[in-house]
Amino acid sequence: MPQHLKRLIGVFVIFILFFLVMRQVLRPKSFGELGHFRADAIYENTLRPMHYAVADSCTKCHKDIRSDKDLGFHAKLKCEVCHGPALKHATFANKFKNKQLPDSLVLYKPGERKDCAVCHQRNAARIKITFDTINTTMIHQVDIMKHHPVDPKTNAALKCIDCHNPHQP
Amino acid sequence: MEDHLQNLYEVLSKVDGYVYPNEIELNWSILIVLYPYITGLVAGAFILASLERIFKVKILKPTYGIALLTAFSFMLVATMPLVSHLGKPQRAYEIMITPHSSSAMAIFGFVYLWYLMVVLFLELWFDYRRDMVIWANETTGFKRFMYKVLSLGTTDISPKAVALDDKIGYIITVIGVPSAFLLHGYVGFIFGSIKANPWWSTVLMPVIFLFSAMVSGIALVMLVYIVLTKIRKQLIDMDCLDTIAKYLFYILLIDFALEGLDQIHRIYVAEESFEALHKLVFGKLFYSLFIFQGLLGTIVPILTLGTLQFYKPRPVIRKTIYTILGGLVLMGIFFMRWNVVIGGQLFSKSFYGYTSFKTSLIGIEGYGMAIIWLIVPFLILSFLLWLLPPWKKIETSHD
Amino acid sequence: MKEDTAKLSRRNFLKEGTILATGVAAAAALPAYDGLLFAAEAPGAKGKWYGIGIDINKCIGCGKCANACKEENNVPKDPFYFRSWVEQYTIKKDGEILVESPNGGINGFKQSVPDADIYKSFFVPKMCNHCAKSPCTQVCPVGATFETDEGIVLVDPNYCIGCRYCVQACPYGCRYIHPEKGTVDKCTLCFHRLKQGYQPACFEICPTEARVFGDLNDPGSKLNYFLKNHNCMVIKPHLNTGSKLNYNALTPEVR
Repeated sequence: MPQHLKRLIGVFVIFILFFLVMRQVLRPKSFGELGHFRADAIYENTLRPMHYAVADSCTKCHKDIRSDKDLGFHAKLKCEVCHGPALKHATFANKFKNKQLPDSLVLYKPGERKDCAVCHQRNAARIKITFDTINTTMIHQVDIMKHHPVDPKTNAALKCIDCHNPHQP
Repeated sequence: MEDHLQNLYEVLSKVDGYVYPNEIELNWSILIVLYPYITGLVAGAFILASLERIFKVKILKPTYGIALLTAFSFMLVATMPLVSHLGKPQRAYEIMITPHSSSAMAIFGFVYLWYLMVVLFLELWFDYRRDMVIWANETTGFKRFMYKVLSLGTTDISPKAVALDDKIGYIITVIGVPSAFLLHGYVGFIFGSIKANPWWSTVLMPVIFLFSAMVSGIALVMLVYIVLTKIRKQLIDMDCLDTIAKYLFYILLIDFALEGLDQIHRIYVAEESFEALHKLVFGKLFYSLFIFQGLLGTIVPILTLGTLQFYKPRPVIRKTIYTILGGLVLMGIFFMRWNVVIGGQLFSKSFYGYTSFKTSLIGIEGYGMAIIWLIVPFLILSFLLWLLPPWKKIETSHD
Repeated sequence: MKEDTAKLSRRNFLKEGTILATGVAAAAALPAYDGLLFAAEAPGAKGKWYGIGIDINKCIGCGKCANACKEENNVPKDPFYFRSWVEQYTIKKDGEILVESPNGGINGFKQSVPDADIYKSFFVPKMCNHCAKSPCTQVCPVGATFETDEGIVLVDPNYCIGCRYCVQACPYGCRYIHPEKGTVDKCTLCFHRLKQGYQPACFEICPTEARVFGDLNDPGSKLNYFLKNHNCMVIKPHLNTGSKLNYNALTPEVR
C-alpha cells in the first residue's frame, strides 16, 4: 500500500478511536439500563417539591370550618380549590400558634366577585352540569351583574361574600 | 429573553382563530429554514460535480472543482444553524454518543460526518493531493504549511500513485451520489415523518427535498462560476454554462412536477386538514408560496430556460439571463424551505387557527444570525479557492 | 323496501354467522378483548399502568386544574406555556365552531356568544395524553424523553438538548420549551406526587370530579369503572398514538 494511503487511513483510525473513547467517556452512567434513556432521570423526576397538600390535611386544624362546610353545598369542595396550594402552610403553620404567620405561609383568601365567578357566573357551557355522581344538584349559576348590578354612580359593587358565606353558601 | 416574551405577547394579540397555547411560539425558526437550504446546496453542488466525473459530461469540466469546493464550504457550515438553534447547544454531542434508533433526527450526526469526511473531504483530498505536493514545493510560509498539513506530509506523486488516487476518487464519487441522495432525502424525511403535521407528513417530502436540493445546488454553482470568471477576468465557457442551464431546466421541471403532484394530491384527497391548509396557503403563505416560490422561483425560470433551449440570443445576454435566473431559483428554493418549515408551524394542529412568525434582527435566533450563516460559507469558499484554485491544477482527464 | 330488508337481513345473518364462526375459532387462540380500542396493550409488565379519564359532561371550566398545574410544577406564568389547560367549545346555531382558551382558562371563561346563538357549548380540559405509542418519544434524537413502565411519558431535563423535534411531533400541543431552562417541558402526571402516593395536582383539585385517574391494569380501578360506564374516546384516534387520555362525551369537533 502506498505511503499516502497508509497515512490517510491512520488519520481516520485516530479519528474513529477518538470518537469511540469519547463515546465511552461521555455516555451517562445509568444510560440504557431501562431503555434508551438515563435511568436516573426517573428518580430525578420524583425529587421535585410538592405544593398541594391532600384533602384532609387542612381539616386537622380547621375543624370549625369543616363542620361549617359539611352542612352546605360546598361540603365536597376541597379547601385548596379556592385557597391555593397549601402544603407549606399545612406543614409549618402550627409552629406559629398565636403568632403572626409569615407572608409565605399565608394562604389566598378569595373574596372578589371574580373568585366566585369562575364557577358560578352563568355560562352556557355549565348550566346543565351537575355537582357529582351522587348529588345531582346543579352548580348554581348566577348572572352576577344582574344579580347585583354595579352602582352606576358610585361604581361600588357588593361582593358575593357580603351576603353569602363561602363555606356554607 | 425579555425580547422573546415581548415578541410572543405581540404574536398572541394577532392569533387568528384558536391555537393550542403552546403553539403560539414557533419552535423552529429562520435557522431551521437555513438548515435544509444549506444541506440542499451541498447535495446539489455535489451532484453537479458527479455529472462530470461519473456520467462523463466532459463539457462541465470547468465547474467540477468549483462545485466540489462549494459543496465542501457549505457543508462545513451546515450544522451551525442547527447547533446554534438548540436550547442547550453545549449538549449537542449527545446526538453522537446516544443516538436514538427510532428518531429520524438522531442519525443526522452520522449522515453528516459520512458525507463531510468520507465523501467530500476524501474526494477533494484525492483530487488535490498531487497538486498540493507540487504546490508545497513552489510556495512558502502559510500556504506551504497548509499544503504540507493537508497532504499529510506525503510526497509520492509517481504516475502510479496518481493513477491510484484517481481511481479511489472515482469510487468515492460513485459512493457519493447515493450519499448525496441520502443526505438530502433524509432531511426531507425529518419533516415528512411527522404524522402530527399534515403540511409536512407526505411520502413525497424526501423526493421533493432532493430535487429542490439539486435545483438550488446547480443554480448556486452556476452563479459562483459566472462570478468567478468575472472576478478572474477570464472568458466564460458558454457551452459549459449552457449545459448547466440545461440540467437546471430538466431538474427544475421534475421538481415542479413533484411539488405539483403533492399539491394536486392534497387538493384531491382533501383530508381533515384541507380547509385549514387551504386558508393558510391563500393567507399567510400567499406571497412566499405563490409569488416567490411558485412564480418567480419556478415558473419564470422554467419558461425562460425552456425558451433558451430553442432560441439562443447572444452570449452576453444569455449570461445575464442565467445570472438573474440563478438568483431567482436560489430565492425560490429558499422560500420553498421557508414555506415548509415556517408554514408548517403557522397553523394549529387543532386546525382552528393560525399563529404568526416574529423574530428579532439580533439574537441567537434572529435574522442577523441567519445572514451570518449564509455569508460564512462564501468566506470559506473564497479561502478554499485561494488555497486550492481548481484552475491551477494539472489537467487530469478523470477517465 | 320490504325486499331490501329481507335481503339485508339474510346478508346480515350470513355475515353474523361467519363472524360468529370465525370468532369462536379465534377465541380459543386470542386473549380476551381488553376493551381499550386505541390504547396499546400494557408493555408486558404486571405493575401499574396509568391512564386518564376526563368527563366533558362534568367540567365546569373553572380552570383550577390549569392553575394547580402551574403552581405545582413551577410552570412559567406567561400564557404560552401550559402542561394542562382548558378549552371552551361553542358551536353556534349557524354551524360555526368557536374555540377559546384565554390564558389556558386559568382566570375562568366569559361567555362570548349570546345564549340565543348557541347550539351547544362545553369545556374540554387538555393535557398530555401519555400515549403508549407516543410520537414525541419516538423522535427524540438523544433519548431525553421516554415512557416509564407505568406508562408515564417523562422528560430528562438534564439530558434534553432542546432541539424541539418532540414539540413538532406531539399532535396535541402538550409540549413547550421552558424559556429559562432551554429544555422541553411537559406534564409528568405529577410523577413526584404519584411516587409519594398522592394524586396529580389537577386531579386533586378538580371540584367536580371530572377527572379520573387510575391503573389500567387493575380491573377494579376507578378508571376502569369510568371507562366501562361511559362512551369514551381519545382525541385524534386516526394518528394511532395509543393515547391513554379517554374523554367521556367527546365530540368530533374537539381536536
